[in-house]
Amino acid sequence: MSELVACKCTNCGFVNYPKHHRCLNCRAREFEQITPSGEATLLTYSEVCTLPWGIDERCRMLGIVQFENKVKAMGRLRVDKPRLGMKLKPSWEPVRVIGGEEVLGLTLRPAK
Amino acid sequence: MDMEIEALLRPPARTMAPYPAKVITLATGRRMVVREVDRKDVPALLKAVRPTLKIPRDYYDIVGARLFAELLGWYRYRVRDHYCIVGQVDGYLVGIVNGRMYTGEIGMSYHTLAIERGLRIGAHLFAAKMEHHLEYLGQEEVWITAESPIGFRRWMIEYGLELKEGMQHELGGAGFYALTKDIWNRAKPRLCVGDRPVAKELMAKAQAEIKIADEDAIMEQILGAKRRQLK
Amino acid sequence: MRKVAIIGVGMIPFGRRDEDSLVDMLAYAALNAMDDAGLGERPIDAVYVGNMGAGLFNHQSAVASALVDRLNLLPAAADTVENGPASGGSAIKNGVLAVASGHFDLVLVAGGEKMREVIGPRATDIVATMTHPQAEYIYGATLPTMAGLFTRLYMKEYGVTSEHLARVAIKNHRNGLLNPYAHIHALITMEGILTSPHAIVNNPIVADPIRLYDCCPVSDGAAACLLCPAEMAREFGKPAIVVAGFGQATDTHTLQEREDPTDLKAVRIAAQQAFETAQLKPKDIDVAELHDAFTILEIAESEHAGFFKKGEGAKALDEGQTEIGGKLPINPSGGLKARGHPLGATGVAQVVELVWQLRGEAGERQVKGAEKGFSLNFGGFGNNVVSFVLRRE
Repeated sequence: MSELVACKCTNCGFVNYPKHHRCLNCRAREFEQITPSGEATLLTYSEVCTLPWGIDERCRMLGIVQFENKVKAMGRLRVDKPRLGMKLKPSWEPVRVIGGEEVLGLTLRPAK
Repeated sequence: MDMEIEALLRPPARTMAPYPAKVITLATGRRMVVREVDRKDVPALLKAVRPTLKIPRDYYDIVGARLFAELLGWYRYRVRDHYCIVGQVDGYLVGIVNGRMYTGEIGMSYHTLAIERGLRIGAHLFAAKMEHHLEYLGQEEVWITAESPIGFRRWMIEYGLELKEGMQHELGGAGFYALTKDIWNRAKPRLCVGDRPVAKELMAKAQAEIKIADEDAIMEQILGAKRRQLK
Repeated sequence: MRKVAIIGVGMIPFGRRDEDSLVDMLAYAALNAMDDAGLGERPIDAVYVGNMGAGLFNHQSAVASALVDRLNLLPAAADTVENGPASGGSAIKNGVLAVASGHFDLVLVAGGEKMREVIGPRATDIVATMTHPQAEYIYGATLPTMAGLFTRLYMKEYGVTSEHLARVAIKNHRNGLLNPYAHIHALITMEGILTSPHAIVNNPIVADPIRLYDCCPVSDGAAACLLCPAEMAREFGKPAIVVAGFGQATDTHTLQEREDPTDLKAVRIAAQQAFETAQLKPKDIDVAELHDAFTILEIAESEHAGFFKKGEGAKALDEGQTEIGGKLPINPSGGLKARGHPLGATGVAQVVELVWQLRGEAGERQVKGAEKGFSLNFGGFGNNVVSFVLRRE
């Protein structure tokens, strides 16, 4: 999953995502770029049924996951029956059209 | 009236199955009776629709003008196979929906007018007329168009309607959409509610009189124009 | 730093105000505050305007400069202050600091928003611009989405139920009926919004488990207050309501980076600062205006601000402690839920309500004997929070 780039602080090892110019943990400024690896665990989710202008779906499932290497991110869930703690596998797919361009984002499906 | 000439001008009457009344509990806890009305109720309904002609906000004027024409046309025997369903709370009219049978299989949805706002009355009544077309009139699909962005959002996206290319809805306008039986069966559990039968007393009150609030009250309900004295 | 007093307050009824422009609404609220103070010919030195989205909702910028012109407060200093839904609170904070510093004497603070110039889904999108552009916005995340993600965890961790959330809405609607300035005047029932099988249509899911009646309405409106050094307050007719303390704190932009996703850290810190600077404790407060943009937030903020232990806010609600006649009345105005939430106006409207309460001018929703009030204005989804403690001198 090379499209989502997180920043691992070279000073304290804290994984920052999204990017911060100073580490959220120790305020240092040097980072190693890493990508999420391993399975993602579902931390929380919500089925959103009042979507903003530009998205013509009735509902969409969004959630926050944590990867094995500590990257935490929001993504779109393609999951019929989400459960807290379930394991998901990531992909990078179109999530929205912004300014006429298709934008790709983290998409998650059940790991099994 | 010269009945011979009148007979030439009137459409043939189709026997249409009635809509069984139901009662819905609104967010305020009040009960709304949803029932089909007769041609004889039209003069009362026109009194309620008339003030909307002065309200351009949210397209009330165009919906009101067209609904007025449809109801008057029905009253004067110039609209074919038309029905009208209303919502009443304590006898007071809170919303009107109408449509007609375009063919035996296809329903043509006309309008949805909510007089009391903020209580999803439009949503409840729209669902009621879809229920009427597909479950009581025995039709296969309903053709729907929207005059306002609110309508579009509520129906096209909420129900997941099917776009009909290359055809024209009776109300003209932009493209139109169809509600098929399939889509209805999937949407119904979350969009169509109500209890039947309606308790005798409640039904009798609704049938006794369609109470219409006065014009100022109607304008206020639609525009939310109260409390302007507090500037 | 000098003590700061609020000597005039005013607002306009919140709701849908098609006929008024944003600057008109701000002007009406400001004139009401100026008249309330009995300002007369005294010049105003500075104006702060809280507003989040004039550029996006109304295609207008430099709102404070426009207001100063419209009211002929020239040549007063003027700034527009933007902090999302806490723009009003931030504007007041800036006004308080301006007076406290000694540099300005009479400062007008107004907050306003005209959200209904655009249709619903566009308003949702504009409000969503507060989310992180790459990590949240692109997914279609909205503020209700954040509330949904948060509420799911809060329910699991602390046993808050949909009934508790409905109870907040019902209480605030009931209070709103007593407030002539409130956007929504409608009594709602538990049956109508939750327990009846018809509630699925009356109260649909917005961002599960958040439903329609868990969300504040989209409103137009404005509110204003006039600040002066406390020692000047006696020149004016009304009892001096002093800004005893205030606080402001921030937290991570994205929800996923919060240390504990159910911890409203910025609320805790801002409230703590407000109490410390006021030299008061939560138990000293007689009335509170909290930021119930979503019903869960009234419960969560009441805990994080220190009024109830974490996990006990819902119990206090159940016991009626937060009703107007209860131990700690919360949102006697109807809160954001019923009073409405024109984004930039809310923080100022909360303070206006507290001033009315502390002066004994709150009419049918008066909290008896209220002398110390607390307000909390929640920016973003809790990543920038402003809090005030007011006391009647």
